[in-house]
Amino acid sequence: MSALILTSVLGVLLLYLGVFGQKRLLAPVAVLGLLGAIGVSATGWWMDVPLFAHMVRFDNAAAAFNMAMTGLTILLFLFGVDYYARMERDVAEHYALMVFSLTGAFLLTSYTNLLVLFLGIEVLSIPLYILAGGKKSSYRSGEASFKYFLLGSFATALFLMGIALVYGVTASFDLGRIQEVAMAQGAAPTPLFLLGLFFIAIGLSFKVAAVPFHFWSPDVYEGAPTLVTAFMATVVKMAAFAGFLRLVQFTALPPTLATALLVMTVLTLFIGNIVALRQTNFKRLMAYSSVAHTGFLLLVVLGNTAASTSTLFYYTFTYGLATVGLFVVMTLVKRAANGSEEVRSFRGLYQARPWLAITALLLLLSLAGIPLTAGFVAKYQVFLLALQAGFLKTTVLAVAMALVGIAYYIVVVREAFTADEQPLEVQVTPLNGLVVLLCGIAVVALGVWPIQLP
Amino acid sequence: MLLAALLLLPFATATLLLVARPEAQARMLAMASTLVTAVVVLLLWAGHPGTAVTVVDRDWAPAIGLRLVLGYDGIALLMLVLTGLIFPFIIGAGFKQQLDRPATVNALLLYAQSFLFGVFAAQNAFLFYIFYELALVPVFFLLLFWGGEHRRSITVRFFLYTLLGGLSLLFGLAWCVLQTPAPYSADFTALHALRLGTDVQLWLFWALFLAFAIKLPIFPFHSWQPDTYTMAPLQGTMVLGGVMLKMGLYGILRFVMPIVPEGVLFWRDLVIWLSIGGALYAGAIAFRQRELKRLVAWSSLSHVGLLCAGLFAWNSYGVSGALYQALAHAVLLVGLLYIVGAVTARTGTGDLGAMGGLKLRTPRLAALFLLVLVNAVALPLTQSFVGEWLMFNGLWQHNGWMAFAAACTIVLGAIYMLWAYQRVMLGPDSGRPALADADRDDHLYLVPLIAVSLVLGVYPGPVLDLLEAPVQQMLNTLTALN
Repeated sequence: MSALILTSVLGVLLLYLGVFGQKRLLAPVAVLGLLGAIGVSATGWWMDVPLFAHMVRFDNAAAAFNMAMTGLTILLFLFGVDYYARMERDVAEHYALMVFSLTGAFLLTSYTNLLVLFLGIEVLSIPLYILAGGKKSSYRSGEASFKYFLLGSFATALFLMGIALVYGVTASFDLGRIQEVAMAQGAAPTPLFLLGLFFIAIGLSFKVAAVPFHFWSPDVYEGAPTLVTAFMATVVKMAAFAGFLRLVQFTALPPTLATALLVMTVLTLFIGNIVALRQTNFKRLMAYSSVAHTGFLLLVVLGNTAASTSTLFYYTFTYGLATVGLFVVMTLVKRAANGSEEVRSFRGLYQARPWLAITALLLLLSLAGIPLTAGFVAKYQVFLLALQAGFLKTTVLAVAMALVGIAYYIVVVREAFTADEQPLEVQVTPLNGLVVLLCGIAVVALGVWPIQLP
Repeated sequence: MLLAALLLLPFATATLLLVARPEAQARMLAMASTLVTAVVVLLLWAGHPGTAVTVVDRDWAPAIGLRLVLGYDGIALLMLVLTGLIFPFIIGAGFKQQLDRPATVNALLLYAQSFLFGVFAAQNAFLFYIFYELALVPVFFLLLFWGGEHRRSITVRFFLYTLLGGLSLLFGLAWCVLQTPAPYSADFTALHALRLGTDVQLWLFWALFLAFAIKLPIFPFHSWQPDTYTMAPLQGTMVLGGVMLKMGLYGILRFVMPIVPEGVLFWRDLVIWLSIGGALYAGAIAFRQRELKRLVAWSSLSHVGLLCAGLFAWNSYGVSGALYQALAHAVLLVGLLYIVGAVTARTGTGDLGAMGGLKLRTPRLAALFLLVLVNAVALPLTQSFVGEWLMFNGLWQHNGWMAFAAACTIVLGAIYMLWAYQRVMLGPDSGRPALADADRDDHLYLVPLIAVSLVLGVYPGPVLDLLEAPVQQMLNTLTALN
């Protein structure tokens, strides 16, 4: 709870710093504040108490997710020092909005009440609608913002409708009460309850960009400022999945809905991976690969075994680390390649900056799931969990799609390690180098010594 | 202790080469490292007690069933010896080839060696898998940086093809691990103790076998091989064909045969016919090749088909023969590729049509080529003869027609190899300017290889003794099934 308060106050503080023109102080204050939030979350470990009239519960899983998301945001802010250096105005708002969004993410990991879930999603999303349009002069950025806002509001409306329907059946927003009703109804729930849960699931599927609710993601990923894209791909995804898993754990999905979601998983795995193969723009590639990873993660959520929380945490966290690192590398390459975001512009990276290229290699291998990186352990855990849950055929598909995943990541590796006639003039500031290196070390260390939530 | 040295020494040397980049001393440093590891494997062999040995056994990541279990039995030791002894030659080939950035080349080669040792020493299926995939990464860069024409697309195709097998193996592995009693274990001992239902074994066989069928490769999973072998730098081809291919053979012995024996019984005739059919097909294509290196690639494919057939005959002749031939094939392939390099460097072309009459200019090189060649055509008193004769016997015990077809591939092999020799070395003088004959370095390289092939051809005892106990133990499961 203290973390919630801390980040809310931090956001306001950052806005005031902006008002008084203290641009240089923004990043240090934000990073320090978030480090404080990690510390506060850590003290909540094993203190599993319900708060706010049983609407929120910070259990261990919530604390772990919160710390991980805050950690990823810190990495992004460290990158932000350089990223926002050329921006004169409104920098404070960017930091503040991201901190507010993070506050919403905290609610998503810890809710025990559907109203808080709704609140969390909105607090998470509204700053993002603004942030996606952060490059005011850019037509694409405006398009991304508008598209995200329009589709997002539509999903939220459905989501709210779902909550209302569930309330109509259970007469409560409380997850515990909903769980009791779901148990009592067993395998044959009333249509109203089913429809309610279905709408809620659609709302969450939109946030995690599952097929067929993924259409916003390539355009928004491409149009939004890179830092915001990285934030969406990591923190937002992690929060939405934590929220999704919590919902599934409490409602124990009725069979009909589970089947519908399994079909969605299959489609997500298939379309995300296959379409990613055809991308030449790096940001769009990352968008579709993010959809593809959503497919793997949905398997974890649907499997809903004892290991689900731990697997989901490990997967999203390591995916987040690799993604943050790669987006930083991409930004550096983009600057050297005159603003080109094409995969082709990675060519010559190894020539120019061998160590940056090798770290990028580790990050890409982790996303692809090659052994001794965290991505491999994550994928293997997903396969194991899906097999345990009895999804034999879907697992076969997931394994095949993992190969397709390797195919598009390896093309980026190939470009980075192919010599180019014109040397790539990549400038790496120490702080950016540190962020990339941290991510690289982390994915290898977590791959060699996998962590598990208790 | 010795085993740990095998894994760590090449790894440490490679990292040193990559960080410090001593371009001038890189080859010597790598050579020294591989010579030390060669001595270490020989010490391991000398101290082998005859039974399976476990050296390290500790938890690593219990969450996913990964444990650090290293050890070896006779079969694994043979593979370790093969890796240890062949790598000095692979590094040695670099002294003549002179690729640019030698520090990086040798670092990648040594990483590959370290991971290959890991593959053969791992006693946990998961650990095996990790090394199995890791070994691919240095080779990927070797091909991408120093490959020939079309390297970008061929490298990616090779990588994906191999990983297709790898992921299929991972899936099969995950499935098997979940069948072991809780808490799940991926140790070979636990997996080998599994008694799976017959219907399961029938499909699981392919999940496990696919990985190794691609790695070897056998027909019809071979389409990556000729292009990759031809395009790869000489040392890359040596690693791929000399050692990495044996991972496939070893994997079949470790995964397929003990875990899904009934699947093997059911599918083996199909696999043997595919292998022998592929061997005949590859032999016929090798016959038509105009490029020397591509001919060697196809001939390797043909040899490997026979190897796989011998293995699936699944009796003591067939299995020991295949393993013995694996050693012979490594010696032979490295020798042949070195000659290819030497001939290509002298004539400036790999085209068989443009060669001929080389023997008049380079008589010593021609003699060395012929001595390597007698091993390739499995002349009696060479190592290949022992291996092929054993496999032939094994197949004969299983099915006479298979043995006949196998004999045909051997004859075919002799024909295209000798014809290749004829086209390169014999014939009228092509009127080239003076060419350098084989020098001291060439002799230093090829004579030991030829000596090994002849000595082990006359006296195969030590190697066969090493194999006898583990092969017999493995075949006992078969007797138990019948």
